[in-house]
Amino acid sequence: MRFMVIVRANEFTESGEMPRPELIEAMGKYNEEAVKAGVLLAAEGLHPSARGARVHFHGSQRTVVDGPFTEAKELIAGFWLIQVKSREEAIEWVKRCPNPTPDESVIEIRQVAEFADLGENLTPELREQEARIDALVAARAAR
Amino acid sequence: MGGAGWIGPAAVTGSRPNRSTPVEVSVRFMVIRRADAVTEAGAAPTPAIMAAMDKYMAEMQQAGVLIEGIGLKPSSKGALVQFDAGKPRVIDGPFAEAKELIAGFSLIDVPSLEEAIAWARRWPAIDMEANVALEIRPLFEESDFAEWQETWQHAAPG
Repeated sequence: MRFMVIVRANEFTESGEMPRPELIEAMGKYNEEAVKAGVLLAAEGLHPSARGARVHFHGSQRTVVDGPFTEAKELIAGFWLIQVKSREEAIEWVKRCPNPTPDESVIEIRQVAEFADLGENLTPELREQEARIDALVAARAAR
Repeated sequence: MGGAGWIGPAAVTGSRPNRSTPVEVSVRFMVIRRADAVTEAGAAPTPAIMAAMDKYMAEMQQAGVLIEGIGLKPSSKGALVQFDAGKPRVIDGPFAEAKELIAGFSLIDVPSLEEAIAWARRWPAIDMEANVALEIRPLFEESDFAEWQETWQHAAPG
């Protein structure tokens, strides 16, 4: 099962303040362990929302709003994508993570929706189209 | 006093696609599909929505923009790990505030925020019955870490 492990934003992640070398080192060690265990698929951190934007959809209309966005707890700051056998194993990995921000942090664990979950809504045509996209993405990544 | 700012999880394992020749000007963005009542209900998408999303993803792929696209199951299948003074505490989903949640994301590689916005605007409207927003956020890159490293060296005693 794949899980997305999401670091919720807080005032520190939104401040754009530089991280301490010790934290980078601890996080690097943790990531290396997850890679060696064959668990880690991808991991990324996001710049503060001040450097981002939102596109709001109202019917056919599109409205662009520049960051920053005020409610830090509604935002995310980064994520891991992991492959594990169960939700419990995902939680165990997350508990071992260095606290990603000073003081209080929240990390959210969410299961990735796989094609197998779509049931009969995944028609043969759609399955073929998905396979084509996957092949193209894989080819690009290997380039 | 301040404390450490945010470090991206990507300190070691950036997931940028390998390229034989580096692209000079390109930035990676996460395009976040926020959750709503529909995504939190966990119903399977209709074939029409699937087809529209596939078409959109194929367009981004053909333009060489798409790195990854991921959809998440409802928060009822997930959990929160909350760190208080370094101690982890586990809270099972679902989580009450749908607008604080995300339902999925795409990772794209484009020259600028403007181009990322242009792609986001083309998101299939059929997916947007609830009039939710897409959020566009740049990723931390190796160049950011290089900058920090330089600052530490300057700050190091001796």
